[in-house]
Amino acid sequence: MFQAYYMPQTVQEAMDILSGHKGQAAIIAGGTDLVLDIHEGKKNFSAFVDISRIPNLRSIEEEDGFLRLGAAVTHAQANRSALVQAAAPILAEACGKVGSLQIRNVATLVGNVVNAQPAADAAVALAALAAKAVIDDGTTCREVLVEDLYAEVGMCKVNPTKEIVTSLLVPVQKKRQGSAFVRLDQRKALALPMLNVAAVVQLDESGERFEWARIIMAPVGPGPVRGFEGENLLAGAAASRETIMQAAKAAVKHANPRSSALRGSREYRLGVLPVLVKRALEAAVIHAQKD
Amino acid sequence: MQTLNIVGKSVRRADALEKATGAAMFSTDLNMPGMLYAKTLRSPHAHARITNIDTAEAEKLPGVKAVATWKNTPRILFNTSATMTFTVPNQEPVLDQYIFDNVVRYVGDEVAAVAAVSERVAEEALKLIKVEYEILPAVFDPLEAMEEGAPDIHPCPAGKNIPGEIIKIPMGDVEKGFAESDVIYESRFTLPIQKQAQMETQAAVAQVSPDGNITVWSTTQTPHPSRMILATAFGVSQSKVRVLNPPYVGGGFGVRIGLSAKAEPIAVALSKLTGKPVKVVYSREEDFIASDTRHAGYVWVKLGAKKDGAFQAMELKGILNGGAYCSFSCETPGVLGAMGLGVYRIPNVSYYGHSVYTNITPAGAMRGFGNPQAMFAIEQAVDDIAAQLGMDPIELRNQNIMRVGDPWILPYPCSSTGLEECMHKAAEEVGWQRRGSMNETGSSILRGIGIGVGTHVSNAWPFCVDYDNAYITVHQDGSVMLATGVPDIGTGTTTTLPQLAAETIGIPLDQVAITFGDTLTTPFDIGSHASRTLYAAGTAVVAAANDVRRQILEYAGDLLKTAPDHLEFANGLIKKRGLRDSECVGSGVCQLNEAQNFITMKDLAYHAHLRNKQFIGVGRITPPNAPPWHAHVAEVEVDTETGMVTVVKVAAAHDVGKAINPMIVEGQIEGGVLMGVGYSISEEIKRDAKGKPLHVSMHKYLLPTAADAPEIKAIIVETHDPTGPFGAKGVGECGMVPTPAAIANAVYDATGIRFTELPLTPERVLKKLQEKK
Amino acid sequence: MDLMKLSFMLNGEATEIMVDPSDMLVDILRERLLLTGTKKGCGKGECGACTVIMDGAAVNSCMIPAMKAMGTTVQTIEGIGNPNQLHPLQESFMDEGAIQCGFCTPGMIMSAKALLDSTPHPDGAQIKEAIAGNICRCTGYVKIEKAILSASEKLKG
Repeated sequence: MFQAYYMPQTVQEAMDILSGHKGQAAIIAGGTDLVLDIHEGKKNFSAFVDISRIPNLRSIEEEDGFLRLGAAVTHAQANRSALVQAAAPILAEACGKVGSLQIRNVATLVGNVVNAQPAADAAVALAALAAKAVIDDGTTCREVLVEDLYAEVGMCKVNPTKEIVTSLLVPVQKKRQGSAFVRLDQRKALALPMLNVAAVVQLDESGERFEWARIIMAPVGPGPVRGFEGENLLAGAAASRETIMQAAKAAVKHANPRSSALRGSREYRLGVLPVLVKRALEAAVIHAQKD
Repeated sequence: MQTLNIVGKSVRRADALEKATGAAMFSTDLNMPGMLYAKTLRSPHAHARITNIDTAEAEKLPGVKAVATWKNTPRILFNTSATMTFTVPNQEPVLDQYIFDNVVRYVGDEVAAVAAVSERVAEEALKLIKVEYEILPAVFDPLEAMEEGAPDIHPCPAGKNIPGEIIKIPMGDVEKGFAESDVIYESRFTLPIQKQAQMETQAAVAQVSPDGNITVWSTTQTPHPSRMILATAFGVSQSKVRVLNPPYVGGGFGVRIGLSAKAEPIAVALSKLTGKPVKVVYSREEDFIASDTRHAGYVWVKLGAKKDGAFQAMELKGILNGGAYCSFSCETPGVLGAMGLGVYRIPNVSYYGHSVYTNITPAGAMRGFGNPQAMFAIEQAVDDIAAQLGMDPIELRNQNIMRVGDPWILPYPCSSTGLEECMHKAAEEVGWQRRGSMNETGSSILRGIGIGVGTHVSNAWPFCVDYDNAYITVHQDGSVMLATGVPDIGTGTTTTLPQLAAETIGIPLDQVAITFGDTLTTPFDIGSHASRTLYAAGTAVVAAANDVRRQILEYAGDLLKTAPDHLEFANGLIKKRGLRDSECVGSGVCQLNEAQNFITMKDLAYHAHLRNKQFIGVGRITPPNAPPWHAHVAEVEVDTETGMVTVVKVAAAHDVGKAINPMIVEGQIEGGVLMGVGYSISEEIKRDAKGKPLHVSMHKYLLPTAADAPEIKAIIVETHDPTGPFGAKGVGECGMVPTPAAIANAVYDATGIRFTELPLTPERVLKKLQEKK
Repeated sequence: MDLMKLSFMLNGEATEIMVDPSDMLVDILRERLLLTGTKKGCGKGECGACTVIMDGAAVNSCMIPAMKAMGTTVQTIEGIGNPNQLHPLQESFMDEGAIQCGFCTPGMIMSAKALLDSTPHPDGAQIKEAIAGNICRCTGYVKIEKAILSASEKLKG
């Protein structure tokens, strides 16, 4: 049962409280996932450490070709931010799909990442954008690609009793880059996706060929899954319907969705996934060609 | 036709202010001194015998005041649904529930309950109750439950696991009819579980006084029948039980016609054990798992027609999944059959239907009550016949729909129908003529338009006992109190019934107050369900109002020395006929000894009071019945690469006889349509292999949010039924009766595939689309 | 277990109350402060019946630990208008028939108010987005959206 609720004003203060409670204190920013887990008896802590009041964790700033989003930045904030909409549009879009406005007003992007659920919308967009998490362990800060943070389902490689993710670094979109986010869902709000696909592409000067592409698919593994085979086919290839169709089919090679009684059988999801990848790539190309 | 001042107007709802300001009281808001909180322990098994239950440790937990199990609660059988209070005389109600039993029959069945000083303590105590189960074999499908090897869930005279009687409705000779048909369609349809998911979960607060009087505030849709059930279950006289809503109810849609699942009896049992008020509030998960659902099941239809389109024969069969306890499982198959057979004029028809017990959450009443299930099958059969004959689906329907006075299988006449007008208006609204030209070849998104029609009832007769009482007292200042046993579960009866009373008596609406849904202050009424309150309770209200009006005119006639039928009475003013209102100025009781041409209601009431008289009007009626009619036209989009069905628009045209309050009628239709859309494309509750339901939260159970709602256009058609109050008929359930049919027919128009199973999930649709290729 | 002091602005009044750190804001409002206008429909942030406005944003109060409200400005349905001076949203909901059973109404109005406070002239899509997290089973949302549009027009002039 909870005995204390701390509201530290600095990251250092938060880290001190964490180490003082020896694994029994939980970081809370928005808390929408955490509170649910506590109510369902899945998690039990003796203290909350609320980091949402720490001043520099609430901002979105542009620095050196990156957007830095603090750990307390909410989905609603990111969705509405002119900076994010311009620099990383699929992140703004993905953030706008989560749950409901009430949830988006409170739930944070970092919370979405560390909760490590396979289909988390913001995390899928972040992975496609090659975003990094900045992790503070009290002594040093290290940067890890979001897509590398997933251990097993629900297990993030960040140790919540000793480490705090203080911000996310998202590369700013460059010239001739395009992106798209496609979500397949049975309901337009208050529903997890059946499938999420995010694609980020870099076209060459002419806008006719791919330089590279990043394809992220979920929930088809413990974390967001890269469609490497598809990406390899696209590198240097023409930005045409045919190459995109082929790449979409290849991209799903390592996709491994479970059968869900709630959100589609494995068979259905594997069948539809190439369609979504195709749609994401086509839209990303159109976006890149607009520049 | 008289000019109507109040009826037919979209007056603001009387309860709107309280609800808009947060002042409205619901059962879940009640707080009483010394009140305890209850939590219920539920079975994790689909079928098991409780061989031992040990509550000692739970009882010792500080803050726990009582624990109830089958051992310390009455062993009297009842049925949580009101059916046990209004089963028609030639049938026996099926009573198969105890408050707690020593056998559990579905995952979620009640095992025990704890009353404690807080919800938290009660929940902790549940974990300390030790239960030993002997697991029994379980069955989940109704067809399997009728097979020889299936476990017997309850003893059933009619057949293995068949509650009540098998319903057979024959008319004519179907074999002959099919033999004479040129085209025939036959298929089996599969319907899923749908859940009411009303916003306020089951809740009750019970207080037992030292002299044994029981008061229960709850979310029931039927206070009077619920009183009867509780009096039976606890073996006490009805006069010692009071049931009321506090006064508002957060929705129902059939889930609590009768008790609110077990909320009331558990609250009463614990209040008796502790001597304190006890509050039971179901969590949302409990509401999903342990309160009645719609009947899932199978519907078979066979329809035959001549090549000119005239229907010759229809055979309809319904085998419904009744779940673990009977609830409304006897009546629902009856309504399915009767409503299905009542839409078209067919010389040879037959219906065979019943429910079957299985080890899942009990199925009971839900909006439509078998009718949506019937029409999903029948309307697709009709469309198929149209396709076989190369006829327009609306034209085919027009040729065969019931007309006024046509013979049918119901014991009351088809007294009015505006179905043709409904079809025409709904079709026009969506642009029916676009059918067949909406899709370009090669497009991966296909569009289609389809129609579904149906009928329903305006009260529960002849399926149930149905009668209504109302009384109206005139206060000494001429204002009026209307008493009706009908609660307002959101449908607006606290506005519309006063509208009827005010119009009939001849006084302004703001002079009418209403007491409702409280067994202490109102006469018996079978409650809010069966699309009946306006029609049936309204008929009693009009009778009581006419009684008051007659008494007032008699008294006024005496005073004004004029025959009552030479008086006019409107807007609270009684005057000699022909007098203009502007001539009726000045008054005062002291002036009444002079010759007078008019008197206000206010003065008359006070005059009478000073002469030892109060006006009381009584209405006691058994209602007839009348069919409302509805036609829905739906436009859909099907993404052929993902199977996703999007409903773009639904035009819902309803013949309601007369819209007493058009805004309220529209609201009922619009809400019904969206519930029908959810039923068609996304709502379902699946189970795992052990019978545990999976879609048990607002997140998992996919009812539509505002972001999912299509464009909905409600169209009111008025045919002025001769039997209803001011011509009105029922509407509450009708909003979702034809919707799934319209959507399925629209999907057929788009894809050429007829779907015989709901919901039309992307997976189900894509599979069939790929098979077709 | 030690109680903690929660201080915040509630419906325009400075409010102090001792709370258990495990308490959720909705229970403080309903059970301790007896403001039962805010409803509980699911307890899990999945239905919106418990929506209140916290520092200008609509939130599900059943998912907000009470202490998270420390130092914030919270508004509930009881605080936006009274029978003598109703908020235009309350008027519109009443006039347009947007209220049936009334259980979703407080949360729905609060979501709508948060929208109109920040976006005085919302379009249909913005209205849908604002209330997509408020489930209503009675109305089909038709008259609710109409009422919100109507209120925004009232606030314009």
